[in-house]
Amino acid sequence: MQDFEYQKPKTVTEAGDAFNAQSDGSFLAGGQTLIPVLKQGLAMPSGLIDLAGIEDLQGITATESTLTVGAMTTHARVAASPEVQKAIPALAGLAGGIGDPQVRNRGTLGGSLANNDPSADYPAAVLALSAVVVTDKRRIPADGFFTGMFETALDEGELITDVEFPVAERAAYAKFPNPASRYAVAGVFVARVDGAVRVAVTGAGPGVFRAAEMEAALDKDFQADALEGIAVSEADLIADIHASAGYRAHLIGVMAGRAVDAANANVGAA
Amino acid sequence: MTDVTIGQPVRRSEDERFLTGRGRYIDDINLEGQARAVVLRSVYAHARIKNIDASGALAMEGVLLVVTGEDWIAEGFGPMPTKTAIRKNRDGSELSEPPRHCLAIGRVRYVGEPVALVVAETDPIARDALDLIDVDYESLDAVTDAVEALAPDAPQLWDDIPGNLCIDFELGDREGVEKAFAEADHVITLDLENNRVTAVPIEPRGCVGSYDPETDTYLLYNSTQNVHAIRDTLAENVFGIDKEKIRHIAPDVGGGFGVKNSAYPEPPLVLYAAKKLGRPVKWINNRSESFLSDTHGRGQTSRVQLAIDNDGTFRALRTETVAGIGAYCWTIGPFTPTGGSARTQGGPYDFPVMYYRSRAVFINTGPMDPYRGAGRPEATFQTERIIEYAARQLGLDPIEIRRKNLMRPEKLPHKTSMGLNIDCGDFPKVFERTLKLADPGSFAERAEQIKTAGRRFGFAIAPYLECTGGGPKEFAGVAFGADGTVSLSVGSQSTGMGHETSMAQLLAARLGIPFERVEYHQADTDKTPIGGGHGGSRGMELGGNAVAQAAGEVIEKASGLAAHLLQSKAADLTFEGGSFKDSGSGASVSMVEVIEASFDSERLPDDLEPGCLDTGSTFERGEISIPNGCHAAAVEVDPKTGAILLLGYWVVDDFGTIINPLLADGQVMGGVAQGIGQVLTENIVFDDSGQLITGSLMDYGLPRADGVPDMVIEYYEGAPTKKNPLGVKGAGEAGCVGSLPAVVNAVLDALKEFGVVHIDIPLTSEKVWRAVQDQGAHDPKGLIEGAL
Amino acid sequence: MPKIALSVNSQPVSHDVEGRLLLVDFIREVLGLTGTHVGCDTSQCGACVVHVNGQPVKSCTLLAVQADGADVTTIEGVSPDQGLNPLQQAFHEKHGLQCGFCTPGMVMTAMALIEDNPDPSDADIRHGLEGNICRCTGYQNIVEAVRTGAKVMRG
Repeated sequence: MQDFEYQKPKTVTEAGDAFNAQSDGSFLAGGQTLIPVLKQGLAMPSGLIDLAGIEDLQGITATESTLTVGAMTTHARVAASPEVQKAIPALAGLAGGIGDPQVRNRGTLGGSLANNDPSADYPAAVLALSAVVVTDKRRIPADGFFTGMFETALDEGELITDVEFPVAERAAYAKFPNPASRYAVAGVFVARVDGAVRVAVTGAGPGVFRAAEMEAALDKDFQADALEGIAVSEADLIADIHASAGYRAHLIGVMAGRAVDAANANVGAA
Repeated sequence: MTDVTIGQPVRRSEDERFLTGRGRYIDDINLEGQARAVVLRSVYAHARIKNIDASGALAMEGVLLVVTGEDWIAEGFGPMPTKTAIRKNRDGSELSEPPRHCLAIGRVRYVGEPVALVVAETDPIARDALDLIDVDYESLDAVTDAVEALAPDAPQLWDDIPGNLCIDFELGDREGVEKAFAEADHVITLDLENNRVTAVPIEPRGCVGSYDPETDTYLLYNSTQNVHAIRDTLAENVFGIDKEKIRHIAPDVGGGFGVKNSAYPEPPLVLYAAKKLGRPVKWINNRSESFLSDTHGRGQTSRVQLAIDNDGTFRALRTETVAGIGAYCWTIGPFTPTGGSARTQGGPYDFPVMYYRSRAVFINTGPMDPYRGAGRPEATFQTERIIEYAARQLGLDPIEIRRKNLMRPEKLPHKTSMGLNIDCGDFPKVFERTLKLADPGSFAERAEQIKTAGRRFGFAIAPYLECTGGGPKEFAGVAFGADGTVSLSVGSQSTGMGHETSMAQLLAARLGIPFERVEYHQADTDKTPIGGGHGGSRGMELGGNAVAQAAGEVIEKASGLAAHLLQSKAADLTFEGGSFKDSGSGASVSMVEVIEASFDSERLPDDLEPGCLDTGSTFERGEISIPNGCHAAAVEVDPKTGAILLLGYWVVDDFGTIINPLLADGQVMGGVAQGIGQVLTENIVFDDSGQLITGSLMDYGLPRADGVPDMVIEYYEGAPTKKNPLGVKGAGEAGCVGSLPAVVNAVLDALKEFGVVHIDIPLTSEKVWRAVQDQGAHDPKGLIEGAL
Repeated sequence: MPKIALSVNSQPVSHDVEGRLLLVDFIREVLGLTGTHVGCDTSQCGACVVHVNGQPVKSCTLLAVQADGADVTTIEGVSPDQGLNPLQQAFHEKHGLQCGFCTPGMVMTAMALIEDNPDPSDADIRHGLEGNICRCTGYQNIVEAVRTGAKVMRG
């Protein structure tokens, strides 16, 4: 690992200034992806701006219709949060299934979104729930946020501060994990918000994406059976030693069905 | 103070140190003034080295030394030879062995092969310096598949070894098998793969070396399983010096499983650098480098054929294997796929005749050497898979045909076609006991529930029979201290198996002395004159018997002193329960008292001196033992995703005499978990250019806590072997031997309604799902065709 | 070089460190607390688990500077001067360790698990140990040790 300058600002403004002062700065959130990347020498920033000291980026608040999660809130905190469990239990469940307990204690929502790993879990929730990614400069709707593999709409130096999740009527996430890394080989988040169904797929493609045909079918009938006969195209999916594109396409269908069943069961239980 | 017995689950002495962070592993050892070494490894699977320019690295501040293959050869150092016990081709000629130097000489033959050693003030500096060494490679075609490597137009690894063939081996009765094949009602054929995996002990390899110019001696701390053999290779083969010039010590070792048994290039490089620089040098592999540079195991492609009659009687077994062993013979690379896999063909079944042929082939990959079981898991897998496959093909009950063909105890001793002398055991009894323990009938209701939920239940039983191995001699030394301590030094080695406890338990039980008084020493070439280390499940069989033999010698010596103390004749004394007793007078004296007296000049006779009870004893094995047993597994499979969940696991083992059942359980559990790992998620994969795809734990799937089931383990102790005085049959590898077929066959049982009869391991979820989609469209012949 | 001040096993520690220094290297190399181990380089194995402000984390995936001001506890900090704590004792009784290399990380993770969930089911334990790889034991005895340790700690 190459050495770098380390800074730990106390405010969002200071963080922006610190970033701009670097020739090649990088924000450090939980570090659960960035530090392994640095260790492998795949990134060599001139400076790291640690966001852990910024109080404003922490915390969870809920209203009737919206759940707001600070960018630096850890997965463990989201998973254990009574507010999240009450408002969007599927989101708590998703957070509790990311990585392993140690990763969940450090990894953050904002870090996960800004990195936009194609097999990360959170992007599926953000996209399916039609959340709004709030930055230090603007509000970015989920549909415009994820732009490609490890690519987002964030500008250089732009910082996620919060994510606003609409409270869903029904929602669930089902993932098929990679046996080694435990990242998603295919993960599907299904949500019905304000009567509209959204289905977001992670792990299977070069970035999180929506499954329009499934959304249309579930809009008509929010039952797993409604998905039968919908073939997911493998054309744009990832293939690696763990899963071919065809298998991923198949898993998307299975996981979507299971997510719908779980979403309906969640409601039944409540 | 505790009295212990043989067979008691004594808790481990080493635990406190490990549980509190006071273990001392290789990376915890730092010598005053040490420099740090890092290895520059080849990024090509096959390439000519046109030039190495290290000037950039040498110019960097903190860089002390760069050693290349040219430097190494200029020093006159020798290659490390293979020590395989199998050396002859079928035609009687010698196997082909290319020279294996510590650094690549002019040509690299696998990704990860050491090209240069860099030594610097710190590890980060040394790693940064790697980027400043400019190696000019000319890429050559590579071959990483063994069957392809045998093809006439395959890239050739060695100019003087035609066809990439290391050895073409056979064993058994070729003609007898052909005759039985012609006569039997059926000959069932199955091609199968035993996938390439690696041990991944959680502690990576590493070493720390120093050189003392005054005595011209080296000191090497090394995370190894085998200090004596490796010391000998370094001294005699590499450096050409007396072996006494190197003291080789293994501190606490964080797992081995065979992978730390090999003679690797890094330790001699470190010793050389230490001498050259006049300061200690430390080298620690990281995990990514470990995947590239540790030895791998299994990796066999085989055609297995079973001759079987309509009534299910086995008539003959024939296996033909092709195995890639990497670019070199390494330590005993050619042994595993040849003799190692041949001996236990046919398992515990009564095969009138068997034949085994195997070719070990050079390929452009890292080295292959023993991994837990080293051939016996492969042989058991081949045998049990063909039986299961034949049962399915012929519509026979897989449990019944096993029951029918198991060797009856009255047939023992029996020498198989493979030359294996099976002396004792009761295979039918162990089989029935396992079946009773697992009670597959009790799963009926659960199986229904599982099916209702869209998944399928499967069960399989897999008897196994294996054999032990490793160095045939072992030393145990016992030395008494005036303070009451008893020092026990043994040449076998624990890398986690708990010898500090079990060996001490054995000595204390035999001598009738308190367990806590025994101080255990191992893995130090200065402490024992010989030592076979750890390998081939030899710990108790060799080390344990050496300890028992040494205990016998101590008792013999002590009886003389006891007679003196009791004013009796030694011949009149009996030793029982830790005391010598005069059968005439009834007078007795305990071993503890005799030991005390041996340090008391008042009580010692004139012709004895303090320390007179000390002994050093070498035990020599007559024949390897035959551990055997039976595994059973229950699984559920989700045909929609291909996901597999282990529901239950049962084992009955015959390890002969059990010294410490707690530790034996641990060996079985760990071995089964490694077998489950290989079957489900572990797999070494290279791409076409020879790059390792599964080079980190992000891609190489080790079993986690949620993937291994609870196991029920019992022992059959009715057949202690007479091949060694303790009656033990090695326990260390058996878990790995039985688990491969048990799990695979259980999964295939779950999939039988889909017509799935075979899937090559690992049973990844995609492969399982595809097999279900294909409704069993399996070609039993295809994998090895090109090589036959 | 940034200067960090933190508490390690209840002892105040301050040191100048390079930004790139990992917490595990700070603990092992700078402080000489070698009970925390390194078994991989991709944050999978868990041999390096320590507690930072009471939570288990992988110290190979944390910079030492990130622990500035924190309370760090290592295996040495949860071990009595003599003998074993109740969870360690349960590992000993149940033969929940073999080579011992993964053991400190396993113990640190399990202690936090029990703290969160004093009466964990086997499934809770197996899920909770997902970030710790053991290659020797097959996990069964570890699970039993954690269950037993939890019971003893509940009293």
